[in-house]
Amino acid sequence: MEQLMEMLKSNYPGIDFENEKQLMTNGVLDSMAVVAIIADIESLFDVSVTMEYIQPMYFESVETMWEMIEELQ
Amino acid sequence: MGYQSLGFMVFSAVVLLMYYLVGRKGQLWVLALANLAFYAIAGVKYIPFIVATMLVTYLAGRSIGKIYDKADAQIATCTDSAEKKKLRAEAKKKAKRFVVAAILVPLALLVVCKYTGFIVDNLNAVLVRLNVPQITLMQIVLPLGISFYTFMALSYVLDIYWKRYKAEKNFLLYAVYLSYFPHVVQGPIDRFNEFKEQVKDGVGCSWQNLTFGAQLAIWGLFKKLVVADRLGLFVDDVFEHYQDYDGMIIMIAVAVYSIQIYADFSGCIDIVTGVSEMFGIKLRKNFNHPYFSRTMPEFWRRWHISLQEWFKDYVYYPVSASELTKKVKKHFNNKGNKKAAELFATCFPIIIVWMITGIWHGAAWRFVIWGMFHAALLVGGVLFEPLFKKLTELFKLDTENFGWHFWQMTRTYILCCIGRVFFRAGGLMHGLRMLYMMVKSSHISVLFEKDKFYGIEPSNIFMAIVAVCVLLVVDIMQEKISIRETLAKQNIVFRWVIIFAGIFSVIIFGIYGPGYDLSSFIYEQF
Repeated sequence: MEQLMEMLKSNYPGIDFENEKQLMTNGVLDSMAVVAIIADIESLFDVSVTMEYIQPMYFESVETMWEMIEELQ
Repeated sequence: MGYQSLGFMVFSAVVLLMYYLVGRKGQLWVLALANLAFYAIAGVKYIPFIVATMLVTYLAGRSIGKIYDKADAQIATCTDSAEKKKLRAEAKKKAKRFVVAAILVPLALLVVCKYTGFIVDNLNAVLVRLNVPQITLMQIVLPLGISFYTFMALSYVLDIYWKRYKAEKNFLLYAVYLSYFPHVVQGPIDRFNEFKEQVKDGVGCSWQNLTFGAQLAIWGLFKKLVVADRLGLFVDDVFEHYQDYDGMIIMIAVAVYSIQIYADFSGCIDIVTGVSEMFGIKLRKNFNHPYFSRTMPEFWRRWHISLQEWFKDYVYYPVSASELTKKVKKHFNNKGNKKAAELFATCFPIIIVWMITGIWHGAAWRFVIWGMFHAALLVGGVLFEPLFKKLTELFKLDTENFGWHFWQMTRTYILCCIGRVFFRAGGLMHGLRMLYMMVKSSHISVLFEKDKFYGIEPSNIFMAIVAVCVLLVVDIMQEKISIRETLAKQNIVFRWVIIFAGIFSVIIFGIYGPGYDLSSFIYEQF
């Protein structure tokens, strides 16, 4: 998960990934940001994020994103 | 039966009475019969179309559900992860056949009913040039609400395919969702899982639901009959006879049309949301004071929200995650052109979404142009964002003061107005000529010409200004508080004075045509 956090912090410096636990609900991430994060996750972890996982619940926090990556691996 | 008609109010009241009288267990049946009656009143000939969509998507959903259930049972007894992966892939492959059928059938019905005329007209335009006999087209019916219920049906079957929820076994529940009379004509485009949770166990009668719902419906009627239809008198006249008007008046008509369409569509949504709330069923939010938006992306998060969210979930994300997008992106990356890869990944889904959004609104090129105009604005916003940031830093602009916010809101409004010229005009050339006249022959002096009222009586101009001011004040208040909750806390006299003022303003100041005919809603045609 550290690798994911590092990538998010470096690619999206304006977003507080450490403390924000409702990134989608609070409108911190918009649809374009979600698509960009998916592309970053796919290249970093060599997974393919399928439509089953492109749902707000998987992008609410770093923890939920990590949960998704683990399931995809 | 228009949502603003007396007939609809009587119909809703009768259904509401039956709904609460039969108790929780019978409520679904009451809604099903009410939906059928509502649809039959609009035209019995429309019924086979919605039933076909209903049956195909329901049966496909059930088949997909069974495939997944069988695969899950096998996976549960399997220990090898490679075998599990294989079982999942096989199940998905089998399910894909059903989802494709369930998408194609409703879409084919939509295309045939809504777009055949458009396709034939364009073909004929080519055939004329080739001196080939033209195609003659028989009259095709456009089923009530087909654009809306088709999208709701597609979202249901796609969500099952993507395992967001389980397929519904109760056909009655699904049929009620798809044909629910408050949302079937103009939306909001609801989602099955949210709808189901509210109706599956029945709803108890609540005084708050009844009063809050009625208040919202009255406010919707005010927006439609007092604001939108009054502004329509001026807008219709200028758009129909734009050659007779100065560019400045056309410009004002375009600006007023943006208010009219907002009052009209959000008024309709308030009426149906209010009526549905009386049944204890909350519909999706469709408007969030869009004209207070500071940017175009924000505007589209506040205007026709349920449609934008539908496009985001079922077009934008799938296109972004598609093999095609990934392949093109990879191609650019391999060539070392990372910028082009990012640009393509950002712009391609936006262009696709807005092309479909445009054509969804109507079978005409002007809607495609309108969609492309918004795609260009959104893509431009993304591309030039770094430049704008640099410029604001360079000029040390304070972007957090009211003046800057007001400028941003005005800019967003003006951009919307430009797009709406094509949206409202009778055709593409009509829109272009109007834009030309606005640029080429606008004279501010026409605003000071006496005794010119442009199709509206002076009393109506005054009333229109007052009504728009009321709309603006209420919108500003709604940004900060819940007016209905605040009103509920006031004493009974004040509360009823406000409610009666609302009812009587609709009755006295509403615009009714000859014989009290009501103007239909703008979005009804979509």
